Amino acid sequence: MNVEETLKEAMASRVAAVQAPPSMGQRIRRRSRRNVVRFRTAGAALLTVAVAGAVPVYLSATSGPAPAQVGAPAAETPESAADDIAVSGNAVPNVVGLRVDEVLPALKAAGFKADWKKVVTDGAPHGTITEQKPAAGAVAPEGSTVEVTIATRAAPDPSATPTTDELPQDLGDLGDGRTFGGVHFGYLPAGLEWGKWSGKNGFGDTSYTTTWDEPSKTGSGEYSVQAVVYQGKAARARRGIAKGDPVTIHGRQGYLGRLTEGGELVAERAEDNTLTLVWFPRADRAVEIMMSPTFATKLGDADKTEIQKIAEGVVVRN
Amino acid sequence: MTEEDEAAFDEFLAARSTALLRTAVLVCGASPHDAEDLVQSALEKVYRHWPRIRRDNPEAYARRVVVNAAISRARRRRVIQEITFASPPDTPVESPDPGLRELLLAELGKLPARMRAVLVLRYWEDMSEAETAAALGCSAGTVKSQAARGLARIRTRLATLEGVSA
Repeated sequence: MNVEETLKEAMASRVAAVQAPPSMGQRIRRRSRRNVVRFRTAGAALLTVAVAGAVPVYLSATSGPAPAQVGAPAAETPESAADDIAVSGNAVPNVVGLRVDEVLPALKAAGFKADWKKVVTDGAPHGTITEQKPAAGAVAPEGSTVEVTIATRAAPDPSATPTTDELPQDLGDLGDGRTFGGVHFGYLPAGLEWGKWSGKNGFGDTSYTTTWDEPSKTGSGEYSVQAVVYQGKAARARRGIAKGDPVTIHGRQGYLGRLTEGGELVAERAEDNTLTLVWFPRADRAVEIMMSPTFATKLGDADKTEIQKIAEGVVVRN
Repeated sequence: MTEEDEAAFDEFLAARSTALLRTAVLVCGASPHDAEDLVQSALEKVYRHWPRIRRDNPEAYARRVVVNAAISRARRRRVIQEITFASPPDTPVESPDPGLRELLLAELGKLPARMRAVLVLRYWEDMSEAETAAALGCSAGTVKSQAARGLARIRTRLATLEGVSA
């Protein structure tokens, strides 16, 4: 008897009676609403990651070769309507249109915290709120964070070209982008330029981040190399979750590995994992370098060597 | 997310959720109830990105998320015997030898999670080596060797059994 066939038959019999319950869609949506809030409560880290990292990873991860098979028979959708079940929490107040100094009291009064995001725009008065998440009237757990977007004017800079990117500019003009957070990056792979954005505290207090991109991709959200510098508490927290193969950078301990979106280590380079090197040049300092899957694929087998060269080129200045 | 996105997601669930749940049960070896929780949490991720992925093979993406979650789950909880002792299905398919079937499932349950995932995708989902590799994020070579080793272990066990019953 053919083992493959018998095995297939055994597996089929094992799950013949297993059926997804019709309420699954409803439960997924409820869970999703809870998580979206938790997401933001966890800090702007995810915002930063979403802007700089996940988008390109994501786009490439879903462009696999296998043909789509979905949308097959448009079967009945028994539970789509019954979805609007309230989660416990408070109603989010409307803060769009308020001035910056009015937002915090308004949110506090309703039991929320605020997370800020700035956008350069001429469409609204400087210092007013243009957007909020969750939207006004949505129900969110008490103590969770409402993300508000503040309209700002671009700094008067004659050399600045108007751009449409909405990436944060927390650290201002970094020149070549190689020096920030008290750290200088002496080596970068050939052909990369500063991504012209920077984030502060997106990875915990105190942390700084930016990217270097291929010039053709600047502004598209696709990065090549991202660096995060952690100081103080954020550095200690980062140490606790370091994963990968041990590496040594100038005598200091670090970890190098390919991490999936879910933070799992995997052995082989693929479109859904990010080559990540984190090390600890000082007790109160951690530096993390991430290489986008697209760029790692471009470098091929040199990716690990290159990421270590970037790390070895780092000089801590203060 | 637009109403049309929501409707398409419901359609997707109606068409695929049972298959994904079955795959999860086989890969993680947990009870259908536990696997359901796992599939829900994996599909939540799909839902979150739905407007972006719905036109770009969402099934492959969903399967990858579910299988990876099932592998981590199997590793975390080391549920290897559950698959053997889970209650038999209400509507068993015809099988010449239920004893043999149980034995195979027991052996399947003892394999490392990733190897088991390879066997489930290859022989139950009928996926090619390349598709399995894509779903698991590894090379086709790895799929080939893992499948061969998994089958070899099961064959060895079968041979022993035949030796005994003969």
